Amino acid sequence: MSLTGRKAARYFIAIFLIITFNFAIPRSMPGDPLTNLLGEDVILSDSSVQELRSKMGLDKPLWQQYIEYWQSILRLDLGYSFHLHKPVSILLQDRMKWTLLLAGPALILGSALGAILGARAGWRSGSRREKVHTGILLAVYCTPPYFLSLISLYLFSFQLGLFPLKGLYSTGSAADIAHHLLLPAVMMTLFTLSRNYMIMRGSVLQEKSSLYAAFARAKGLYDEQILFRHIFRNALLPIITLLALDFGFILSGALFIEIVFSMNGMGSLIYDALLSRDYPVLQGSFLIITIMVVSANLLADLLYSRLDPRVKWE
Amino acid sequence: MRRSLYLLASLLLLCMLMLSTASMGAEEATGEVLKIGSPNVIKSASILGDSNMGVFAHLSNPTLMKMAADGTIKGLTAGSSEVSDDGKTWKFSIKDNLYWSDGEKLTPVDVQFTFNYLAENYPAAGWMKNTVDNISIQEDGTLVFSLNKPYSRLNLEFATYPILAKHIWESIDDPMEYTNEGENVGFGPFYIASTDLGAGVIYFKKNPYWKGTAPKFDSIEIHTFANMDVLSLALEKGDVDAYYKYAGTYPYSSIDKLKETGNFEFVEKDNIGLIFLGMNLMKEPMSDLSFRKAISYAINYSEILKLDALGYGKVPNAGFVPPSMMNFKETAKLEYNLTQAKGILDGAGYKDTNGNGILEGKDGKEIKLTFLTRTDYQRPTELMVDYLKAVGIDSEIKNVDSSTWIKQKDAGEYDLTITRSTPWGMLMHANWGTGYFDSRRTGEGVLHVLDDAKFHQLCDDILAATSEDQLKDYAYEVQDYYAENLPAIPLYWNLVETPYNKAFQGWYSDPLYGIFNVDSFLSVEKTQ
Repeated sequence: MSLTGRKAARYFIAIFLIITFNFAIPRSMPGDPLTNLLGEDVILSDSSVQELRSKMGLDKPLWQQYIEYWQSILRLDLGYSFHLHKPVSILLQDRMKWTLLLAGPALILGSALGAILGARAGWRSGSRREKVHTGILLAVYCTPPYFLSLISLYLFSFQLGLFPLKGLYSTGSAADIAHHLLLPAVMMTLFTLSRNYMIMRGSVLQEKSSLYAAFARAKGLYDEQILFRHIFRNALLPIITLLALDFGFILSGALFIEIVFSMNGMGSLIYDALLSRDYPVLQGSFLIITIMVVSANLLADLLYSRLDPRVKWE
Repeated sequence: MRRSLYLLASLLLLCMLMLSTASMGAEEATGEVLKIGSPNVIKSASILGDSNMGVFAHLSNPTLMKMAADGTIKGLTAGSSEVSDDGKTWKFSIKDNLYWSDGEKLTPVDVQFTFNYLAENYPAAGWMKNTVDNISIQEDGTLVFSLNKPYSRLNLEFATYPILAKHIWESIDDPMEYTNEGENVGFGPFYIASTDLGAGVIYFKKNPYWKGTAPKFDSIEIHTFANMDVLSLALEKGDVDAYYKYAGTYPYSSIDKLKETGNFEFVEKDNIGLIFLGMNLMKEPMSDLSFRKAISYAINYSEILKLDALGYGKVPNAGFVPPSMMNFKETAKLEYNLTQAKGILDGAGYKDTNGNGILEGKDGKEIKLTFLTRTDYQRPTELMVDYLKAVGIDSEIKNVDSSTWIKQKDAGEYDLTITRSTPWGMLMHANWGTGYFDSRRTGEGVLHVLDDAKFHQLCDDILAATSEDQLKDYAYEVQDYYAENLPAIPLYWNLVETPYNKAFQGWYSDPLYGIFNVDSFLSVEKTQ
């Protein structure tokens, strides 16, 4: 079998296993979707409980639920949430739109800026400017996202009144949405940037002492040329791995930001679904994440082979 | 570098494109607006399927009856009500001046439809199928509920279900799954104009056909916040005018900060719900009354009140039921007395024979209890563990999320737990907190561990009572039963603090829904 074939088979098996885990893991937690459905001060008779279990398909044997789960996936039907009273596909569509709008630009911008600034910092390691940048970004990197988001909200929204305190929008216009999303997006960008900055800085520090860097300098190339034509490309490999991972978890990674800024995104959808054992939402969300992780890894594989000649796709 | 610039420009363009596709048509507030901030986040725009939405919808779709500030049940959609001597026939006259927000008149047929419809389609109202034989309308428009057994609590039950418009809801097969983010036809002073889950706001507008006392606001907005700290900031900043949380108080730790601004006052009411220590009465040694009594003496109530509720409340009585409930009876105050606790344990045969500081049970094994708890009750649980240790009872905390708590509680996989009762929880089943203990009922927040024929009979007697005097006698009996048998130990009776901006006066609070009631929104006005 060719390498491409082997890789395809590997991805196929991985997807099959992950989808099976997506079914099994929510069900291995105590409780089920009915456990937390009606509210803490509702009392029911046993017959009402049985009726509800039957309506939700929870009375069927597990193997039957598993077969129906696969049948639904093959029909591209992600099921129905009895907690949120909507088909899962509509819920995901609605929430993903906002999360991608918030986290997508933050991820790309944070990665790009982190890589560029980190590369410069690694190249000019020891300079005063680099020390200040590294100090600030190290502080951001070490601060819990929840705390820093709250502080920024307190400062920029409460004290200075520059941004709204909550929500995805008020009036719903494009400018209004941008106004609501700017602060949380900047926070997310900062976190992505700080991490990528640290990794890129370390990577460049390692690469710049390589022989090929010394050879480039001996050829008479300028600093910028050595850094961005030669070193940057090699130092970028860990960032690509991280980007592939981040891309996969872009949907669930904004949870703290969503809680602080009261935003209805994918993070809070998954978190609430976990707490309420909303199997269809968990399965649907995990499926989307699975597809994104696998696609991102596939893309990373391809990029690796383009950037590093030692890594061969075939 | 130029390529990077192109990349950034493309990214910005992509963002703009995404923004333009994400643009929403939200409500524009006009006229005088009252804004309420709440941590009760709406997950779906379903007035019967989302418990928080259901509470807020009472302003748009009021209930048949209401609970007055003194705890008595009075008419809301009903002008008056009466019950026959045998307690099996209830009559409700429906007010004649109520109109739906689409201009249709509310008639007894709507009310009749609502209860038939809910009985059939709404699990929480399923009890009606076994209790109500028939709902008829007399010639004068009076609604008659014929029951197959006396049911003293029917008027109280009807203080919780929203009245629905027949011409809207008759075409909806499954009300639990029905969501509507647009206009919800209501007959209250305000109706739901829209529910915007993205903005986290429910928009109410004045019902143009409302004939009662004129509201002082054109619209009301309920702003929900996923983060309590941010909600406090919104109050301080003036983004919202008042706070509301169903079955809960404003965080005690944040009260002083709001007071310091000088802009806020508080509606302060005794909570009819409470925090209590639940015990698995199906297991030893919790099934032993002496053991429970000893525990009740081991708890430092003043300290737990001070540390967990910052002193906003008082030390409870053994009778469990708070004084704010109807037919409260003064029972013995719970007392912290370690000597007494140790004496009772010793007398009941719980001894520390090996001298390691841990008591042994009647089976000779050291007592080690499992304390099932959720993060909301972490602090009182830790205090309780210390109190128990002081009398030689070892316990380990098992921290779980809400669903796991419900599952393990129902499976009896715990010894002790700290939980709360909500206002409606105290009133459900046979009232006075009975719904939390009666082993014949189940539910997410209830313990259903009291399998005592005497208690069951008492609950049945309350449900079948036919007069207020009878009810009062039974209420006293229940509280005496609690005090003597300690099926649960109240930890403190607390206050519900609801802050509002001083510029808005006239709040009215009832024990069931706090300030979120029709009367409140008709009397509140902006004074500055």
